[in-house]
Amino acid sequence: MTNLFKLNVLAGLIGSLILTGCGDAETTIVEQDPIVVDDGHDHGDDHDHDDGYTIESLGRLAVLSAETAEAAIFDLDDNELLDTFSLTYDSNSLTTSPGFRYAAIVNRSDDNISFIDSGLWREDHGEHLHDYEQSPALSDYTLMGSRPTHVINHDGQMAVFYDGDANTGTSASVQVLTDSDISSETSELAGIEYSVNMHGVAKPRGEHLLSTLRRDDADSTSNAKVLPDQVGVYHFHDGEYELEQTLDITCPDLHGAAQNHEFVAFGCGDGVLIAHQHNDEYEAEKVANISELNGLRIGTIYGHEGSESFIGIASGHGGGQAILVTLNPEENEMETIDWQPMADASPVSYAFAFGGEHFLILDNQGYLTVLSQHSHDGHMEWEFEGRIDISEEDVSTMPDNMSFTLTVAQNDHFAYVGDPIAKHILQVHIEDMEIEGDIELNFAPANISWLGIVEEGEEHDHDH
Amino acid sequence: MFKISKVAVLVGSLLPASLFAQTIEGTVINSKGEKVVGAKIEVEGTAITTTTDKNGRFVVTDLTSGKRELHITAAGFAHLIKGITISENTSNLTFTLNRSPIEVVDVVASPVHMSVMESATPVTVLAGETLRRQQASTLGDSLEKTVGVHTNFHANVASTPIIRGLSGPRVMISQNGLDVSDVSRVGPDHAVAAEASTATQIEVLRGPATLFYGSGAVGGVVNVVDGRVPTDSTTRGEWSLETNSADNKKLASFNATTGTDSFAFYADGYWRESSDYEVPVAPEADHDEHGDNFKVENSAEESDGFTIGASYLFNDGYLGISVEKFNREYGIPGHSHGDEGDTDDHDHDLEESHSENEDVFADLEQTRVQLQGEINFDGQWLRQVNLRSGFTDYQHSEIEHGEVGTVFENDSHEVKVDLLHHPLSGWKGGLSLHYKNSEVAAQGAEAFTPPSDSETFALAVMEERHLNDDLLLQVGARVEQVTLKANEVLLPELAAHSHDDDHEHDEHDEHDTDHIRVFDVDHEFTPVTLSTGLVWNFTPGYNIGISLSRSERAPSATELLSFGPHIGTGSYEIGALFALHQENDHRDIGLTDEAIDLETANNIDLTFRKTQGEVAYIFNAFYNKIDNYYYQINTGLFAESGHDHSDDSHDHDEHTDELPVYIFQTDDVILKGFEAQIAWQATDEIKATVFSDYVRVKLQDGGDLPRTPPLRFGTNLSYINENISAHLDITRYQSQDKITAFETETDGYTLVDASVSYDLPMLNHDISLYVKGSNLTDTEARVHSSFLKDIAPRPGRSFSVGIRGYF
Repeated sequence: MTNLFKLNVLAGLIGSLILTGCGDAETTIVEQDPIVVDDGHDHGDDHDHDDGYTIESLGRLAVLSAETAEAAIFDLDDNELLDTFSLTYDSNSLTTSPGFRYAAIVNRSDDNISFIDSGLWREDHGEHLHDYEQSPALSDYTLMGSRPTHVINHDGQMAVFYDGDANTGTSASVQVLTDSDISSETSELAGIEYSVNMHGVAKPRGEHLLSTLRRDDADSTSNAKVLPDQVGVYHFHDGEYELEQTLDITCPDLHGAAQNHEFVAFGCGDGVLIAHQHNDEYEAEKVANISELNGLRIGTIYGHEGSESFIGIASGHGGGQAILVTLNPEENEMETIDWQPMADASPVSYAFAFGGEHFLILDNQGYLTVLSQHSHDGHMEWEFEGRIDISEEDVSTMPDNMSFTLTVAQNDHFAYVGDPIAKHILQVHIEDMEIEGDIELNFAPANISWLGIVEEGEEHDHDH
Repeated sequence: MFKISKVAVLVGSLLPASLFAQTIEGTVINSKGEKVVGAKIEVEGTAITTTTDKNGRFVVTDLTSGKRELHITAAGFAHLIKGITISENTSNLTFTLNRSPIEVVDVVASPVHMSVMESATPVTVLAGETLRRQQASTLGDSLEKTVGVHTNFHANVASTPIIRGLSGPRVMISQNGLDVSDVSRVGPDHAVAAEASTATQIEVLRGPATLFYGSGAVGGVVNVVDGRVPTDSTTRGEWSLETNSADNKKLASFNATTGTDSFAFYADGYWRESSDYEVPVAPEADHDEHGDNFKVENSAEESDGFTIGASYLFNDGYLGISVEKFNREYGIPGHSHGDEGDTDDHDHDLEESHSENEDVFADLEQTRVQLQGEINFDGQWLRQVNLRSGFTDYQHSEIEHGEVGTVFENDSHEVKVDLLHHPLSGWKGGLSLHYKNSEVAAQGAEAFTPPSDSETFALAVMEERHLNDDLLLQVGARVEQVTLKANEVLLPELAAHSHDDDHEHDEHDEHDTDHIRVFDVDHEFTPVTLSTGLVWNFTPGYNIGISLSRSERAPSATELLSFGPHIGTGSYEIGALFALHQENDHRDIGLTDEAIDLETANNIDLTFRKTQGEVAYIFNAFYNKIDNYYYQINTGLFAESGHDHSDDSHDHDEHTDELPVYIFQTDDVILKGFEAQIAWQATDEIKATVFSDYVRVKLQDGGDLPRTPPLRFGTNLSYINENISAHLDITRYQSQDKITAFETETDGYTLVDASVSYDLPMLNHDISLYVKGSNLTDTEARVHSSFLKDIAPRPGRSFSVGIRGYF
């Protein structure tokens, strides 16, 4: 009986299915607010679309505290603090990732580089540029190597030069990476392993990497043997860099390097070595030091994709007046720049401004000097354009080991100046030479870096 | 340990204690009266299995009294199903097996009995040596010698099976009965996340199988089965090493099972690497040169996978879990775009050597966890409970210039519970409950489908009954509830235009502001499947099968919601939610006016078989009318692929970056065709098989559908003795001239493959050495069903050497 009952239930179930016959389909569509696309830009709203299009934002600012091992990220649209991150080590320096998405915290003495994701970045999705706006976050990704010193960004690539350490017998090395290596936490980076330590520098250039070579002390033309005296051209293929060429002109006591679209410049004891790519080969020439340098040498060079000339800086150790020169690779020429310094002014920071038409000099007296590029009969010169007084404080009260700091936006004509005395950051419009805003801090800033979405492919070549 | 014994106590307490334990003994012989060694005896409804010893004898202990069904199987013989009544210890049973030249392997874990010879629906199971001989790097290619199954050959790097002319969202790919949960149903360049080299068998269900697998199986099912959750702890295993010449392939794989009385452990792994493969002619169809040095660029592949599993075994069942990690990196041929002459150094990248040219490659990763269990009951109603559940985390990135272009993700959860009852008035079968949820998202340039979340609940009933000794009736029904939610369906203003009038171009240039309309879409479908089949053994050794089914399918997210460039298919795809509206001179894409409805397949299958003797054969004929069939039509418009990677605007041909616009719409479609297999065991060593298959797909109102496989026939000759096994395969693919307006005809070709293997028994370890040759005539073979037909023919002549061991 029960068997029969069970069977009936089963039959009933199947029967009812047959009766229902065919199934059902129901679709509900609710139209949402449209996304407005104006010339490929998404104006106004700052909410984060998962699916698309660009965000208009002044960017974000990474600020390293001079007082505690902390870094803060500010939103430059409303000057609000987004988040503060505790750092593992003290005495860091700050730079950005090559795509300006990440703040790179470089700790030379603890052999470590860590990254903070600004949360603001762009991806090229082919049919549109896709911007992302998220909360800042400390990345799990860290780079480790002995004495990371010169961190160079160029055209989407970062080259980290690890000096190595003679005391521990650690050799120098180079690692090359991109923003996507940081986001995907690439474990194996391509680079160079040297067999000796040196205070060197590497310049990433697409598939090439120009990096310094230290010879045996007996062969080296450097006075300080830890400084290299040759430049090697490395080529990337099959997953690794291979030394393809050594430039035939030596560069004794090499220190400082910069590059622009065509040339790479290296500071040497006796002048500036300029390398130029012809097909797959690099040719080198040297611009000799001029007598106006008063026996100093060019130890720091700045370059910009938008500028044909480089700016070299010669200064004695421990400050003093700096001599700025224009380096014109086309004409193989070095020429001093009169930047009309104020009394006792000693530069603390330099930068090319957005677009490469202006060069900024921040000095210890609290002035931001703006130079402009001018052409006279086809001859390129840098001239004094104006000066902005960025401090109302008594600059003699500057605490030890602190200074004014400078960073430049990559999407507009703004520079930001950190002031450890007033504990604020000023927003300066370069073209108008006016202070347009400030961010109040409750700590003294040690270093600041602009982060965000670069506009029109303008990229800046940092050096120090 | 404590936890597990607690489970054991719990499970044990649920089971009624056996009242009387009985023992049966017997012998298995063949039709000549000779003993059959190694025949497997299974007692249906229990976990009891045993094999015959060297005298052909078997003993089954611990049986309870009552009616039982024994399944006796052995390689080379037809299956024998015998019902016996166990009242007291029985010792002199004799079972006679009849030879079958067609290999018969059961489909595992089905509520009703299914095999190539015995079910109403057509089934093929690839297992053992045959599977090993035919396995390839991709699933479609592994199955392409299976009758009724073609591959959509995608240049050795990806391929998906085409069953009776249907593929994509209509063919379900499953792993141990659970959805493989990748994105291979969405694009032909997306690899299937399942591996043949570690599988124990691959089951193919031809024709509608929605009854067992749900909506996605309206065209058929491919189920890749392995022993990742072990059901016994007998120590056994398999390893192999292989190389192949045309693509310089190297493959290493193993699987092993072992354990104690109560615990079983399983591990498998494989590693494979291959380079760009050689072809006998220039790969592009419009070049005519023949020569030695042609390769299909960017067809290299590298993959590896590792699975571990463990089970707790108890008297009446098992419960186990497995974890798999699957990685695959492969080139995507034909997936290049933009201006290749970009000479500045902006786009160079460092992480991969791939960056030296514009090649695109895919990097696929999947983690799969499966939980499986089975409990047999002696109670009044419930005979067995089967549990299968899985969690899958899938991701693949398409990497262009070393940067991630598009990322596809699929996170899914699935649970299947089969409740099988004891025979009720002769009815056997049960109830199946099924839940599946998958979240699919794509980000990047090729994210042509918006993120979506789909959820399925299903209830199915499957029953079979022997009406008399010669008549088997199988019936089934299934109701599903499928919800598909997408809250950001985008409708951009498409700057599409036709190539013969360009005034629309100008109109669009006037727009300064475009609006992208955004929709929150919520679909709810209730597909119902009804199926019935009859198998009639009208005379001993012969049967006729007939199967009728009405299956409904919920359309997929891709078919409904797409809007964007799909480089894998070379088209700009627009889902059926949208339609092209014509207003005066202006053509505009907006929401469709049509209701979104289910696709319904009405299928009749006829099977005629000779199951035993020196000659055996199987003929299948089918007629399948699919109403409301979702397919793409060419709108004649072109849209920007938006895939220009050069960052300066070199003046290249303005049309290079445009893709034809295809829109999904529905129509009624008729598929009909046949499959035939005849096998003749000429002597104990020599066997000859011939087969053929054909499908004709057309719109009811006239017109063809694209990429339909052509008529195929072929033969296999084999010689097998104690030590040597040799096979010669000759397969003829006819030309295909039933094509759509945007396709070209494809020439026919004949493939010749041969293999020889030699067994060297060493201690208790069987080792075989083998040599395989494929495409021995080095012929140009272009696959009509491939999206890459014109740029990637099949590999040229190739030799493969390998060694395989079993323990």
